[in-house]
Amino acid sequence: MDVFGSFSLLLAFVCAVYAFVGGIFAIKTQHPLLIKSARQAGMATCVLIFISTICVEYLFFTDNFSMAYIVSHSNRDLSTFYKVAALWSGQEGSLLFWSTLLSVYVLSVLIAYRNKNGELMPYVGVVMAGVQIFFLTLNNFVENPFKTLAAVNASGALEPFTRMDGNGLNPLLQYPEMVIHPPNLYSGYTGFTIPFAFALAALLARYPGEKWIHLTRKWTMIAWCFQSVGILLGAHWAYAVLGWGGYWGWDPVENASLLPWLTGTAFLHSVMMQEKRGMMKVWNVWLVFCTFLLCILGTFLTRSGVVSSVHAFANSQIGPWFVGFIILTLLVCFGAYVKNRDYLKSENQLDSMISRESSFLFNNLLFLVACIAVLSGTLFPVFSEWFTNNRISVGAPFFNKVMIPIGLALLFLTGVGPLLAWRKTSADSLKRNFGWPAIVGVVSAAILGILGYRDPYSLICFFLCFFVFWTIVMEFYRGAKVIAARTGMSMMMAAHELSMRNTRRYGGYVVHFGMVLVFIGLAGSAFNSDVQKAMNLGDAMKLGPYTLVLQSADTKVEKNYTAQRMIVEVLKDNKQLMMLYPEKRQFQGNEQQAGTMVAIYSTLREDLYVVYAGMDPDLNVPVIHAFRNPLVKWIWLGGVWVVMGTLLALMPNRRAALGVATVPDVATDTATAPALTSTVTLREGHD
Amino acid sequence: MTSNVHPTTVIPSEARNLLAVRRRRFLSLGALVFLAVTPILIAQSPYSPRAKEVGMHLKCMCKGCDMTAGGCAHPGGAFSGPCDTAKAQLQQVDGMLAKGMSEQQIIDAFVQQYGTIVYVEPPKHGFGLVAWLMPIVYALVGLALVIFIVRKWYFNRPVAQPASGAAMHNEAFERARAQAARDTED
Repeated sequence: MDVFGSFSLLLAFVCAVYAFVGGIFAIKTQHPLLIKSARQAGMATCVLIFISTICVEYLFFTDNFSMAYIVSHSNRDLSTFYKVAALWSGQEGSLLFWSTLLSVYVLSVLIAYRNKNGELMPYVGVVMAGVQIFFLTLNNFVENPFKTLAAVNASGALEPFTRMDGNGLNPLLQYPEMVIHPPNLYSGYTGFTIPFAFALAALLARYPGEKWIHLTRKWTMIAWCFQSVGILLGAHWAYAVLGWGGYWGWDPVENASLLPWLTGTAFLHSVMMQEKRGMMKVWNVWLVFCTFLLCILGTFLTRSGVVSSVHAFANSQIGPWFVGFIILTLLVCFGAYVKNRDYLKSENQLDSMISRESSFLFNNLLFLVACIAVLSGTLFPVFSEWFTNNRISVGAPFFNKVMIPIGLALLFLTGVGPLLAWRKTSADSLKRNFGWPAIVGVVSAAILGILGYRDPYSLICFFLCFFVFWTIVMEFYRGAKVIAARTGMSMMMAAHELSMRNTRRYGGYVVHFGMVLVFIGLAGSAFNSDVQKAMNLGDAMKLGPYTLVLQSADTKVEKNYTAQRMIVEVLKDNKQLMMLYPEKRQFQGNEQQAGTMVAIYSTLREDLYVVYAGMDPDLNVPVIHAFRNPLVKWIWLGGVWVVMGTLLALMPNRRAALGVATVPDVATDTATAPALTSTVTLREGHD
Repeated sequence: MTSNVHPTTVIPSEARNLLAVRRRRFLSLGALVFLAVTPILIAQSPYSPRAKEVGMHLKCMCKGCDMTAGGCAHPGGAFSGPCDTAKAQLQQVDGMLAKGMSEQQIIDAFVQQYGTIVYVEPPKHGFGLVAWLMPIVYALVGLALVIFIVRKWYFNRPVAQPASGAAMHNEAFERARAQAARDTED
């Protein structure tokens, strides 16, 4: 199976080269058979990558310990669940996994548009094949997952051998979220290849209009959604497994995942400027290019270990390859831009300084500043070493100080932007739209301040959260009120109808609502408290209203690990609340590494987060570390709303058939035509 | 499996049944015997809370966790608390505090000992200042650029034509309606 997998991978490389070279010839000659064969080579590449991935999984499931990668990342006792995840636990496998997920997107695009957009698709195919060639080069010739174990025999020749068992999977990765977090994050990284391919292809082909944006909108949203979920799952994994009481440490790998998310989010907003007003064409193309390059950079930072971090367990020689690919891509993008820049001529005009357009410009500015600040902070230790020979560390306090003001400014625009009209917003409209949200924000922040939440940044954040929340509520209320008045529907049904008529707009609001919840959760971190104590059985310790009593302890032996478990009784205001069971696990095959299973009592108000830290090396008694983390649950709930909003935005619009009537009421002041009423008849369609 | 609960254990009755059921699944002997024979010790932290506060501004130098000395949880280690290196650093901080050194003097002393790698955030002098200035420069340059662009685009706008008062032509109306639909869509 290893030979078969290895051969498939090599054949995939050959097919990708054919898809690339054949595609270029097809574009030059416009020969229909050549175009078709290049496309089919692209499809074959994807299928062959799937086959080789299945082969690696097969080797994991059959405990083939003659393979170096299987030995390094699995053992016989590893559960089936984690044998699936073992594929992306190391360098070679995760790069193959990158190729696999990219292939899912490439194959989907090649199939979905096989009979459409004939002028553009050969270019798209070439760009996608180019990216695949890079990763297949790494898979085949640099970090091949099909290497066999070999030892030097008595005669000095290399001889294959098989180990009895493997080293096992890194204990930190033996957690359910590690099975879903990397696929999500990688789906985000790889997904941005599609808008990149379309943008570059449109530029190379001088493809007319905004068609490439319409074609890639849903692909961009899918990639963005995966990236968002991947980031949040990673944060939850860090929270639940690392046992340090936090969820975001501004680790270089965390930062790497945030970079394309920031530019991708900027793109999702600025693209509307091009669609509605024909503006910012150059900017949008470069935003997509940068997002893709940051995805590659993120993968490079994650896999190369160039900036040391807790994640950087993979130090290897892939760095120059990535740097080379990034430079080459940049050169191609720049060359295509210089050659065809006249095609990107925009209709850049603003009717008013206060308009949706200008808010998008500030929105993009903030996302870009955030992105560059995170990037430069992440790479600053490397720069300082280059320039001064002294490595200066940049940790969480720096990023918090820099990013909190930017985050708050973005939150402000989240509330303001959607309520500004395209072209021009009147002073009356500003008063009408923002008066109540501002009052609600101030009153809510004041109440929270009285309740004891008195950190300045948190109070500003709470004010903005309630401000944004109320603007969203008012948007739904106004629209639903119009529909309810015309159709006799209940307000709830009318709000649903409203959302379905313009899924993109109201899906966007739902995403904004999710982000508000995330910010509420982040604001809570200013009020975290913790206590750590070496405890004998029966000992108690207090943390806020909670009393923790170490009642007992036991040991459980599982197939792949042995866990020492503490049984902690939790009392709140001296009344029994619940029992918590924090664990410390010792994994087979990884005796030097232990895993932590945190016990969390989570409510909307706060998390009680209890860690069994281990036996105190000095006192030889169990040490319990308890954290009281307010509002953390809101972050995960926010993530759920972000996903729901994105799914809503991906749905096709249910359009009301429009007819002209003399109804004076409109939902916003943005309409420039006479008011339009809907008839009862509805039809399905895409916006 | 026997319920090897330490004599001092107090479990409320409503939780007892649940615990008994769960415990059948576990081999509790090893850990409990270990704990039962452990003498009652007075738990004492080997460093002061103030040392922990100062330690939040110093990087743990174990090279294995990339956390602060004060907040070291050392993921993946046998003990999820300050590792030996962080603990030694915190005890060293305690010693310096006892000598009357200020927080900044302590940080400077650690930089002398370990180099600039011990910083958690770059210093606001020398090359470290560059890290602090960069985001401000990005924001200011970006802001200037956006203001410049907004002004330029604003002055590019077409001059409004006076309305003729004539009835709207069908084609013009259709165009206006399409534009309104686009404008109000998002």
